[in-house]
Amino acid sequence: MTLGPSALLPLPVAIPLVFCAVMLATAHLLPGRLPDILATLAALSVAILSGMIAVHAADGPLVYWFGGWEPRDGVHLGIGFGVDAASGWIAAFIGVLYVLTFIFAWGFFDRTHGHFHILMLLFLAAMIGFCFTRDMFNLFVWFEVMSVAAFALTAYHLEKSALSGAINFTVINSLAGFLMLGGIGLIYAQTGSLDFEGIASAVGRGGRDPVVAGAFCLVATALMIKGAIVPFQFWLADAHAVAPSPVSVIFSGAMVSLGLFGLAKVSAVVFAGSDQVQHALPTLLEGLGSITAILGGWMALLQRHMKRMLAFSTISHAGIMLTALGALSPAGTGGMLVYVVGHGLVKGALFMIAGILLATRASIDEIALRGLGRGIGPAGFAMTLAGLLLCGLPIGVLDQGTRLVQGALWHQERWIALAAGAIGAGLTGAAVLRATGRIFLGLGPDPGDEGGAPSEDEREKANRPLWVMLGPCCVLLAFDVGLPASLIANATPEAASAFMHQPSVSAKAEGPAWLPWISVALALAGAGYGLFRTRLPKLVIRPLRATQSVPTRALELLHSGLIGDYAAWLAIGVALIASILAVS
Amino acid sequence: MTPRIRVALLALAGVVLLPGAAAVITGLPPFGATIAQYGERINAITPEARHVANMVSAINFDLRGLDTLGEEFMLLAAITGTVVLLRGRRGEGNTERALRRPGRAVIPRSEAVVLVCRIAGPLTALFGLYVVVHATVTPGGGFQGGVILASGTLIIYLGEGYAGWRDAVRSHWLDGLEGGGALLFTLCGLAPMLTGAAFMQNILPLGTFRDLMSGGLMLVENLGVALAVAGGFTQLFLEFMEETREADELDEPGEESA
Amino acid sequence: MSVVSNILPYAVAVWLFGAGLYGIATSRNLIHLVGCLGVCQSATYVLLLGLGYRWGSIAPIFYDHPPGTPAVDPVMQALVLTDIVVGATLTALLLVLTIQVYKRSGSLDPEKLRPMRARQGSDRAEGSDRGHDGKRTVL
Repeated sequence: MTLGPSALLPLPVAIPLVFCAVMLATAHLLPGRLPDILATLAALSVAILSGMIAVHAADGPLVYWFGGWEPRDGVHLGIGFGVDAASGWIAAFIGVLYVLTFIFAWGFFDRTHGHFHILMLLFLAAMIGFCFTRDMFNLFVWFEVMSVAAFALTAYHLEKSALSGAINFTVINSLAGFLMLGGIGLIYAQTGSLDFEGIASAVGRGGRDPVVAGAFCLVATALMIKGAIVPFQFWLADAHAVAPSPVSVIFSGAMVSLGLFGLAKVSAVVFAGSDQVQHALPTLLEGLGSITAILGGWMALLQRHMKRMLAFSTISHAGIMLTALGALSPAGTGGMLVYVVGHGLVKGALFMIAGILLATRASIDEIALRGLGRGIGPAGFAMTLAGLLLCGLPIGVLDQGTRLVQGALWHQERWIALAAGAIGAGLTGAAVLRATGRIFLGLGPDPGDEGGAPSEDEREKANRPLWVMLGPCCVLLAFDVGLPASLIANATPEAASAFMHQPSVSAKAEGPAWLPWISVALALAGAGYGLFRTRLPKLVIRPLRATQSVPTRALELLHSGLIGDYAAWLAIGVALIASILAVS
Repeated sequence: MTPRIRVALLALAGVVLLPGAAAVITGLPPFGATIAQYGERINAITPEARHVANMVSAINFDLRGLDTLGEEFMLLAAITGTVVLLRGRRGEGNTERALRRPGRAVIPRSEAVVLVCRIAGPLTALFGLYVVVHATVTPGGGFQGGVILASGTLIIYLGEGYAGWRDAVRSHWLDGLEGGGALLFTLCGLAPMLTGAAFMQNILPLGTFRDLMSGGLMLVENLGVALAVAGGFTQLFLEFMEETREADELDEPGEESA
Repeated sequence: MSVVSNILPYAVAVWLFGAGLYGIATSRNLIHLVGCLGVCQSATYVLLLGLGYRWGSIAPIFYDHPPGTPAVDPVMQALVLTDIVVGATLTALLLVLTIQVYKRSGSLDPEKLRPMRARQGSDRAEGSDRGHDGKRTVL
């Protein structure tokens, strides 16, 4: 084993695990803020190491074989980590998100003896392992570690709603794990290998094989459940909304996107050789992605509980990311990866603001908070900026990702996906801007349909100074706005091609410049309608109200919070994916 | 949705999936005909390469040791979650009084039970240790043995009663066992890197085939896993047992309410 | 007969998953739901072990038999071991959540557990019951 840069690969996973084990062994001995400090240090080291790995991987993917088991005679004997530049940068982004979250959560949890930090570090290690691995079963193991850590973190508040949310989350994601395991078993039996490359070459050699399609169906379902795509999205709103704010930052900022990242990797690398799968992907991903984008945006507008609203907006953006994957090109996948980072930064900032509201104003209900934001002006500015960035204001990483995605879809003339993405972004932006106006400016005295939405009395610990909570939020927004666009534009085409194991392509033109402005206009119009409802002429209001009521009621009924409903929809979703695969 | 609608949706999904499932099942190699190339190759080279007789242990602790590391920490995460979720409401103190349900008799522990437990307890612990130690030669290993050892502690509860059990089993030691075992396993991965080898590469002397002490680094990892699993499961039992105690005062608020 | 024995384990796995999913969809008791999740998991055990089996092979432990004797697939067995640990962790977490739900609301019926209640109009949200008084019957 030479000591090149690939020797760094195990470290971003091993270091958080070591910190985790040490903190657990000395759980009751650790004084006050030491767990916070240790956790922040661990996350910082992960971010730095992943960045170094990403820089080295720009020349070519780095590969590392655990246990010294290199492949022999074409049989992959051990587990490998294969990191290309894109995976490295996503891992670095996750590390940075965790550092800022730990700072945000400083002092949040008093009596934990560091248990919160233990679970979060484990979550971090699992995410990095998920990004780096090139072994199917190892992917599953990190998927399950992520899930278990998330289950434990969701119910932290121990309120009744937190417990139901955690149960829904646990059951649905466990079913996802079982489906993934079934898929892995099938593909292993058919190809005889568990390594990405090993499976890919065997799949490429075989012809049209129902077992390969079945395996893809199960694995894709599992990853789409994690990525909260319709009809598997129900758990996200429940779980997300009731988890503590620092945990919600990670869920929306990284966990959901990782499900789609995994789907991108698996469909581009492992199942690249299966024509049946590749023909089914555009229809499947764009169809489900478009429905998800619109449904998420619509439901976001109907919420009054801020975290639930933000959860639905994450669902909408997950749909947009999925449509980008459906383009099946390095341009689309590259755009999706940039979008993951941009969306994570902005959504993380928004959840931190929600946490600030919970801590300083003791409520998370938009209508109850009306006008109460006046004392925390900086948070209002941050929220306005974040809302505008979310709907497509043309600055920053998220916008760059949006334009790359729209460019890829435009070139393939996928008008439905483009329209759905623009509408979804507009609707989610409208929801956030409406909430900003109501909370910080006191506008919008007359609630519309959101008045009937589910909500709950909540508060969070108010013992931290505002700047501790607002600082990381502003850093996230600064990253989004400030990362140099040219760097990203130069690196993306090559990074995306390396990610998909395809030959390098040159940069494709971005989408039309006017398309993001449509989302912004829709967002401002939607927010305006929500806030100034009383002042608009009856002529405008009556038709809008009529179109809204019935579908709104239907959608709200569907999101019942009952685990039995979710299980039924899961079955329907699997059947849907299987039928699309069968006809292509 | 009423249960009837749910069952209808499930039935619809089942009908749609049936031809696909049939296609997949008939497309698979017939049951029992062959095994995958990966497994075949491992069976062929591992006895030579690592001097162990138990292929499954070799996979768990050597060839695919990273998976076991992840799984180990997943167990840790679940147990930490359990501790947080149960203690957060209950508080850190423990009481001696068991919960009494109205109308149920309290049956004193019989002497026969105490005797049997005092015999069975050490035997179970010995058996657990035996299973742990024989990881590389017989169907044994850290996980299996660790769970047996943890169940052995329950025999202490049955025989000595709750007070005896709490005396024998201390939560802080269990934390140390769990964390220490996991740390040992992770260090088994990092330490070879210091000598220039790969993560978790088996650099210790491998011993003789079919000997108890064969396998090199696998034995250390096995020990780590056994400690962590035994500590973890006992912690789990401890937390669940605490739930049967009468609350001393009002249940304390959770981690994070004001 | 041989056709049946060729496909029986896989068909059983599919049936188990379907039965477990049906149980989850129609469950009226959280502990029953945890059991059904266990049934879904057993489907994966059956599938994996069935895929790794070979007629006339020994267990992959070469203590009594010389190395080189045909053995079943050890990778599948290692996978199932991980799966068992996953199952144990999930069951533990779900049972803990069940205990807490019971303490909080006195009911184990999933139909009665909604994460949040819908509001009527724009009034301030009613509080969830928190800090209720002491002596509740617990398990």
